[in-house]
Amino acid sequence: MSEVTLNGIKKSFGSNLIVKGVDLQVGQGEFLVMVGPSGCGKTTLLRLIAGLEQVDAGEVRIGGARVNDVPPRDRDVAMVFQSYALYPHMTVRENLAFGLTLRKFPQAEIASRVDEVAAMLELGHLLERKPKALSGGQRQRVAMGRAIVRRPKVFLFDEPLSNLDTALRVQMRGELARLHRRLGATMIYVTHDQVEAMTLATRVAVFNAGVLQQVGPPLELYNRPANRFVAGFLGSPAMNFLEARRDGANLVGKGFTLLSPADLSPGAANVLVGLRPQDLRVAALGPLAGTVDAVERLGFDGYAFVNTESGPVAARFDKGTQVSVGDKVFLAPMADALHVFTEDGSVALRHPVERESLEVAS
Amino acid sequence: MNRLVALVLLAMAWSAHAAEAQPEPLKLWHAYRGGEEAALLQATTLFTEKTGVRVDMLALPYDAYAAKLTNAIPHGAGPDVFIFNHERLRNFQGQNLLAPTTGTLVRADYFANTVAALEVDGQVYGYPMSLKSLALYVNTKLVPRPPTTTAELLALLPTLSNPAEGRFGLAYESGDFYFHAPFLFGFDGPLFDATGRASFDTPGMARSLAFVKKLQDERMMPQEVSGALVKTLFNDGRVAMTISGPWFAGEIAPSVRYRVVALPTVSETGTPMKPFLGVEAAFVSSRSEQSARAHELARFLSLGESSRVRTTVGRQIPANVAAYQFQEVKDDTLISSFREAAKDATPMPNTLEMARVWEPMKLTLRAVLQGGTRPEDAGALADRRYRALHRERPPEASPMPWLTLAGVMALGGGTAWVLRRPAQSQTFRQRYPDVSRAVTYVAPAAAGLLVLVFIPFAVGLTLSLFHHDAGQYTFVGLANFVDILASRGYSITEPLSFYFTLAVTLLWAVVNVVLHVSIGLGLALILKDPLLKMRGVYRVLLIIPWAVPNYITALMWKGMFHRQFGAINGLLVALDLEPVSWFTRFSTAFAANVATNTWLGFPFMMVVALGALQSIPPELYEAAEVDGASKWTQFRRITLPLLKPAMLPAVILGSVWTFNMFNIIYLVSGGEPGGATDILVSEAFRWAFQRNEQYGFAAAYSVLIFVVLMGWSVFTRRLMKPEEAS
Repeated sequence: MSEVTLNGIKKSFGSNLIVKGVDLQVGQGEFLVMVGPSGCGKTTLLRLIAGLEQVDAGEVRIGGARVNDVPPRDRDVAMVFQSYALYPHMTVRENLAFGLTLRKFPQAEIASRVDEVAAMLELGHLLERKPKALSGGQRQRVAMGRAIVRRPKVFLFDEPLSNLDTALRVQMRGELARLHRRLGATMIYVTHDQVEAMTLATRVAVFNAGVLQQVGPPLELYNRPANRFVAGFLGSPAMNFLEARRDGANLVGKGFTLLSPADLSPGAANVLVGLRPQDLRVAALGPLAGTVDAVERLGFDGYAFVNTESGPVAARFDKGTQVSVGDKVFLAPMADALHVFTEDGSVALRHPVERESLEVAS
Repeated sequence: MNRLVALVLLAMAWSAHAAEAQPEPLKLWHAYRGGEEAALLQATTLFTEKTGVRVDMLALPYDAYAAKLTNAIPHGAGPDVFIFNHERLRNFQGQNLLAPTTGTLVRADYFANTVAALEVDGQVYGYPMSLKSLALYVNTKLVPRPPTTTAELLALLPTLSNPAEGRFGLAYESGDFYFHAPFLFGFDGPLFDATGRASFDTPGMARSLAFVKKLQDERMMPQEVSGALVKTLFNDGRVAMTISGPWFAGEIAPSVRYRVVALPTVSETGTPMKPFLGVEAAFVSSRSEQSARAHELARFLSLGESSRVRTTVGRQIPANVAAYQFQEVKDDTLISSFREAAKDATPMPNTLEMARVWEPMKLTLRAVLQGGTRPEDAGALADRRYRALHRERPPEASPMPWLTLAGVMALGGGTAWVLRRPAQSQTFRQRYPDVSRAVTYVAPAAAGLLVLVFIPFAVGLTLSLFHHDAGQYTFVGLANFVDILASRGYSITEPLSFYFTLAVTLLWAVVNVVLHVSIGLGLALILKDPLLKMRGVYRVLLIIPWAVPNYITALMWKGMFHRQFGAINGLLVALDLEPVSWFTRFSTAFAANVATNTWLGFPFMMVVALGALQSIPPELYEAAEVDGASKWTQFRRITLPLLKPAMLPAVILGSVWTFNMFNIIYLVSGGEPGGATDILVSEAFRWAFQRNEQYGFAAAYSVLIFVVLMGWSVFTRRLMKPEEAS
């Protein structure tokens, strides 16, 4: 039993309210990724779970037991720090064995576990070195190994990949995913990198300003964001938002008129239309028009950043399309691409019907 | 023709210039302070007015004066004239520092015994300026009728003493043999036997010590009295009588009414308490380049107007007979009282033997008055110390084997170097084209090192192979080392033994470093806590002990440890505890030293520890906490190992500093009791400057200190190695 439950967690530092009442359930064996911009409270939440900080209000439960007043060492969690926090005066072997030694495991048990983890993470030849003599990726693996070797109920990761270069990060991402499959342990992972969130998580929790915005499987969050913040945070380039007003069967904004989706429930006159750049094409004709401000070519396709009357809008173009800065272009949405939010962006009113589910349905 | 005129003019100009040129000023050294210094200045001004010869005066601290003279004069850097008491005369004369006064001194000008005091082998050296001896100062308000016998004194003292109020009948510097001598002579104790050797183990010595001990035990006299304390107590009216010399008159507050009388007669023997007669004289240096003028100055200072000024302004008792014809001098009851008191005085022998008496007697007085030594055992103690301190010159050795050995080694080393040097295809210049610039860069530091380190080191090393006695250096080979290491003359459990001192030194270093590090680290851990309010204020306060010069701190602590007037005993008394006589037992004296040095030493360790602590990333503690470490385990497994790289050099540095911490030992315990708390450096200092100037012996001590520290540094380098390797 190693699920983690957060009930009404509040935490402030001085007069700064950092976590503003979070309720969250992390199930046994789940890989939950907490994302959000800097200062959104995700790292604080992780430290509250670890017991490195005390909650001001609310309840932390690990494996069903309330752990608010339990010190970190008795919570049976392991944490991998952003800076790795390896003990510089100990060898890799001693670093790995430290937690087991303190818990008075028999020597033989310690040795076999360390060797097992070293083999798993390919650290075998580094065991007698000190952290100073390791590369960044190797240190990262030692930090990971130090957590794994203890076989804790819950793994906590605090931006563990942010100090690695891109290639190493991709590789470690893969290893982490494999590790999770292999261990099947509960893992809570903090990052500000949405790619890590999308690729690793079984569920993603998006935070902003100390408030949990939405939690769910990555694609659900991508396809059905609960509000403007989640919609804008996941996906790159970010979703375009256009102010519009209902006008019969149309949504009319500055310089554009779009056909209102049939399933859009009636409501307030003013709405916010969300269009992912991937769902918008540079075309010969379309409902939106503007001047190209910048172009990003990615090889197979590219994105054009276009100044329209309703503000800047990003749109995809295919390999064959000629787009240059200064061109007057038209933008056409793909079929059923419209996300609609309330005017203030706090609630989503409709989402496009997912293509995958359409395919499944057909 | 023109050329000749020019030449003549030039010669005239030159001679005119030469006539106008002032003669070099005469250099006059002295150790006077206050009124005596002012009087001397007036007297030299008179001299300059009369002769046109300027005089440069230099006042030296008394403790260093003799050593300064014996070192400066042979190198031509000394004074033309210097003022000193006659006690050291034979010592100076033996080192050829003095010019005889033959032909210029008129014996009839001075009291006969003052001239006699300056005589060595029929020659008179120096011009007697003043007499110094001790007499009894009596506060006339408290004591209308001064005692004339010790019986009267003993009857009078209890009525004047009330220790609870801090009042005493008598106070004088009882720990100083100069002040004890009148008691010794009063009890018929000889100081020298028939052969002229100092003798301590006599009935007179025992009885005189017993008498003084009784005064102190019955609280008629305070303990551990210094000159400054006597002054304070007498001026406050808390002491009715004191024994002191003419210089004390200048320190008495104007409001105090007092008289000066001769010391009382010892009732048991019927002998008057005879103080030492000291004669202060103006000596002419044997190296003076203006000998005639120097003699003129010295003689001038001892006679006529100078005596009048020295009497009236400096309160000196002139040795010049004619001075007593001046009306002011006639009218001065103090001067005449001292002149009267000096009649019974024993002229202090000007022999080397006399100079050797002081340290054993000081030890003995302390042992009896502050320690538990019985008066009848004290003489034997002094005698043993005397024999230990004044060791015979070791047999002279021939330096030839040494020189040969050095030569062979130099030759062998040179040959080996030449032979083993790899063959060079390029010349030195080709390999190092920039050598001249490199040399320019290195030269200043190299010169500094050479002058400040290597030359003194070589001189010290060489000196350790010599024996020094009164300016005579004799090559004795390793005899000094043999004597030290074989502990010749005293058992190895005695404070004079090298091994005893080494053990004390090691104990001293270990105890101090442990305390410095643990207190410093403890405070650093407290100060590190970011939640501590006013952290900055505490940090500054805790660094203050470090910022105060250590000798000032040492003197403050010395005062705080005073038996009767110190703050620490005051605190003990306030807590209803027995006051402790700190410097009479090894354990307490050592503890006093340690307390002082700990006060001085912990801030450094604290600063180092604080810096090291702050460089440990906080995540390590968090990681350890999650890993299952308690606070104590975190300290043991994370903090301590990570402090080690920063603390180890600090500990090594601290241990070496402590090992050689001369100031604290010298100023706080002064080696008391009986040299037991002396460490190696302070012991070396005493051999060099307080025990017959045994420079060679002291240098051998220094070499041994060097060897010990060298061994320590090799050992610590081993300790540091793994740190550097990782």
